[in-house]
Amino acid sequence: MPTKTTRVDFDALVRRAGLTLTEDQIATFHGAFGYIETMLENIRRPVRGREAEPALTFDPEGFQ
Amino acid sequence: MNISAPAGATAFPTIASASADIAAKKLSPVELTTHLLARIKTVDPVINAFLLVTEERALADAKAAEARMMAGTRIGPLDGIPIAHKDIYNTAGIRTTAHSRQLEHNVPAADATSVAKLAAAGTIMLGKLATHEFAFGGPSFDLPWPPARNPWNPLHFTAGSSSGTGAAIAAGLILGGTGSDTGGSIRGPAALCGIAGIKPTYGRISRAGILPLAYTLDHSGPMAWTVQDCALMLQAMAGYDKADPAASTKPVPDFSATLGNGVKGLKIGVIRHFHETDNPVSPATLKGINDAADLFRSMGAEIQEITLSPMQDYGACGFLIMIQEAYALHEKWMQNSFEKYGELLRDRMGLAAFLTGADYMQAIRKRRELCLEMAAAIAGVDIFLTASQPMEAPLIDAVPKWAAFEKPNFTMPFNVTGYPAISICSGYGTGGLPVSIQLIAKPFEETKLFGVADAYEKATDWRSQRPAL
Repeated sequence: MPTKTTRVDFDALVRRAGLTLTEDQIATFHGAFGYIETMLENIRRPVRGREAEPALTFDPEGFQ
Repeated sequence: MNISAPAGATAFPTIASASADIAAKKLSPVELTTHLLARIKTVDPVINAFLLVTEERALADAKAAEARMMAGTRIGPLDGIPIAHKDIYNTAGIRTTAHSRQLEHNVPAADATSVAKLAAAGTIMLGKLATHEFAFGGPSFDLPWPPARNPWNPLHFTAGSSSGTGAAIAAGLILGGTGSDTGGSIRGPAALCGIAGIKPTYGRISRAGILPLAYTLDHSGPMAWTVQDCALMLQAMAGYDKADPAASTKPVPDFSATLGNGVKGLKIGVIRHFHETDNPVSPATLKGINDAADLFRSMGAEIQEITLSPMQDYGACGFLIMIQEAYALHEKWMQNSFEKYGELLRDRMGLAAFLTGADYMQAIRKRRELCLEMAAAIAGVDIFLTASQPMEAPLIDAVPKWAAFEKPNFTMPFNVTGYPAISICSGYGTGGLPVSIQLIAKPFEETKLFGVADAYEKATDWRSQRPAL
């Protein structure tokens, strides 16, 4: 699956995640990341206004 | 491999038929349990449905049920019924592994709420059942136990993650079992194993004591050979539980109230683009859906066509929420004991390590839009109809690692919205493997859902066939 994120940029994501991975494992994740990028583009459509709330909202009465 | 059924039982008793026979003192719970334990010993090495058989516990449960039967103090319709639990349901003093090396020796101190409820209803626990690792990665061949195999043909996949439950019920090793469903893990194996499985409304059954996968998508539910049996099990499992923050306080209705009522006057909406365009299904699956629509029409229902957003939208939203919530749970293990996971789980879930908080927030903003859309669409009908799996079970060693990423599945939309949904057998396709339909109802309308599914099941003869094990 083609991935827009370059390998250099992906290596930075791996470091941030704190995972200890082999070269093969990083290559596997990088090779599949295109699937995730497609989904990330999907959920950002349509462009939303600032007031578009998430499905889950804080309920202060939910703890009583 | 056939083993004679105990006296008083049909060859493959259902929960309802066994319950009636026990109530009439024609069937002994001890003899039924002994029969099933023997069948497990013979059949299970072929299908690997069980991770653990709790023979001693089962016989003790059976003797207690039999004593109640003889004393005329039966608790209810599940008293004396042999079941088993997916191995993510905590069982006090009994190993609960999530089919993972990470929890290989985990022994919980307390039962999950639904395990306790089913025990209190008089069920007999035969053991713990195979699952995809942590209800997510599978089929895996690099775990401490092998994956479950399809009883209709053991070379084929069961789907998952409630793989052992689906296989054990279809093979006649148990009369019912528990499953969990975060993106289709009850309905998928129900479909490929040719049984019935319901994901009730989010919050209908407590999730307390069930190892979580993704908090906002996780559902617990029953699986059984028939719709009626699912209704009987759900009756025992449903209800408020203060130990589950998402548990609903809504009253529990009589889930069997509509069985036998038919579908006359109901409106059924077919989400045709899901199974014809978004992820085109096999000819046998499509025939099952079209025949079901025709059958419902002939029984007096009105059939409409429903259009929602592409299934890909629901899939992207649900999948991103699922892997990010799951990764948050597994983060420490992923960082410190990555190699203890099977390859499929760590590669699929691990992708969430590279996402951001903004990504999660965008997914749950999308979720609100999809929930509003579906609520508007179902307002004009009673039930939705579509596929639950795209085709018959594939070969178990030919399931691509990224299959779930490449095409959207038919079940995730109703995890995103939390609607009750059931998968039932709609015939047999290539090589005699089952195909299925999925029916969906409005939130907390499981009773109506059971009524429609039962009407279909009783008007067809798919329940007369069993795997030839």
